[in-house]
Amino acid sequence: MTREHFAITADVLHAYADGQLGATERAAVERYLAAHPDAAADVAAWQRQNEAMHALFPSAANEAVPARLSPHRIAREIRSARRQSIMNIAAAVALVVIGSGIGWYGRDYLTPTKAASDYLIEAAVTAHSLYVKEKTRAVEVGADAPNLMTWLSNRITTPIDAPNLTAEGYTFLGGRLLPSDPGKGIPGPAAQLMYENGEAQRVTLYITSALPDKEEAWQFETLSGVEAYYWANDTITCTVVAALPEAELRMLGRKIFEQLTWRPDGTSAQW
Amino acid sequence: MQQFLDEIEESVPALRRYARALTRNADRADDLVQDCIERAIRKKALWKPTGPLKGWLFRILLNLYRNELRTSRRRGDHVAVETLLVEPAVAPAQPGRVALSEMARAIDTLAAEQREALLLVVLEGMSYAEAAEAIGIPIGTLMSRLGRARAALRTLTGSGDEPRLRTVK
Repeated sequence: MTREHFAITADVLHAYADGQLGATERAAVERYLAAHPDAAADVAAWQRQNEAMHALFPSAANEAVPARLSPHRIAREIRSARRQSIMNIAAAVALVVIGSGIGWYGRDYLTPTKAASDYLIEAAVTAHSLYVKEKTRAVEVGADAPNLMTWLSNRITTPIDAPNLTAEGYTFLGGRLLPSDPGKGIPGPAAQLMYENGEAQRVTLYITSALPDKEEAWQFETLSGVEAYYWANDTITCTVVAALPEAELRMLGRKIFEQLTWRPDGTSAQW
Repeated sequence: MQQFLDEIEESVPALRRYARALTRNADRADDLVQDCIERAIRKKALWKPTGPLKGWLFRILLNLYRNELRTSRRRGDHVAVETLLVEPAVAPAQPGRVALSEMARAIDTLAAEQREALLLVVLEGMSYAEAAEAIGIPIGTLMSRLGRARAALRTLTGSGDEPRLRTVK
């Protein structure tokens, strides 16, 4: 057998099958294949694969190219689109100027849109009404679960601790994670915490991370037969929902607010 | 600019063929090619005239294809297999010859990276160096993808006319 000047590796065999070798190398590979039937079978199989691929995907060289694939045409379109977009920008600037004038001076005449807090209160009341009815499955994770609050804090991306309402006669039952409606400007998912007193009166807290505006706000609503007390600050929003008289809910809401806004320096936000 | 556009024009048939092989859908393929040409013209400044324009165009095409693959995976829509396959009119002539429809299905089941490499080398006749450059991988990676693609195709099409005894290393 002739002594080869280069090693016949798998790569060289592939290059042979793909017709990428020069005449000298090709001859060397052919001598090698004559002596190695296994390798010859591999190469033959690869060549059949190549043929099949050529048959499956024939050259498009003789096909008419659709006009939309003409680079000259595309270049013309880009040029005219650039000119058009400069005019569009000018028109848009003019519209913004006119529009903001109308918007600013006409702001008192426009109906106010529903605020994110309204959606949060609605969602809190809906979730409250749905889950307080449950006897054994009122919460997803019980208060005794070791990582409940860590889990909920992580999911709503705001550290929270379950407020202690023992002095008010309420026991913490546990919580659950609820989806939010980002289309309404509501941040991330919500954590619902549930409490119960000796008379089976249930209170829920619907907590999310802060709204984009991070504004402090309070709101009291009566919805679907229950009272909802909403407040928000720069870290969280919380809606307390219960079928309680307003005065009692305000008192309870204040206790919750103080504990949820408690800061490591021992102060809580001003009520 | 005119010369640049003429050079792109020369690559259009090859781009269309490769795009068809990747997408298995003539309309989607032409959409990709159109996007590719547009991108190339807009980003002309990014092209280094030292490298071959054709390789750069294939690189753009591949990136667009991969992006589209990602979005369509997210949306979860699929391409109907029926729209892709051109069944051969004539049955395979020789025993041991790979049936085309079987081969088409086998190519579809290859890992995307193997399919990209194999089709580029086989259909476009690009040198390994050019193909590696267009895909954006080292040549060694290209060779191993090529090897794995071919081995996978053999298994998938059962095209060993005789039982395989040994794998060439």
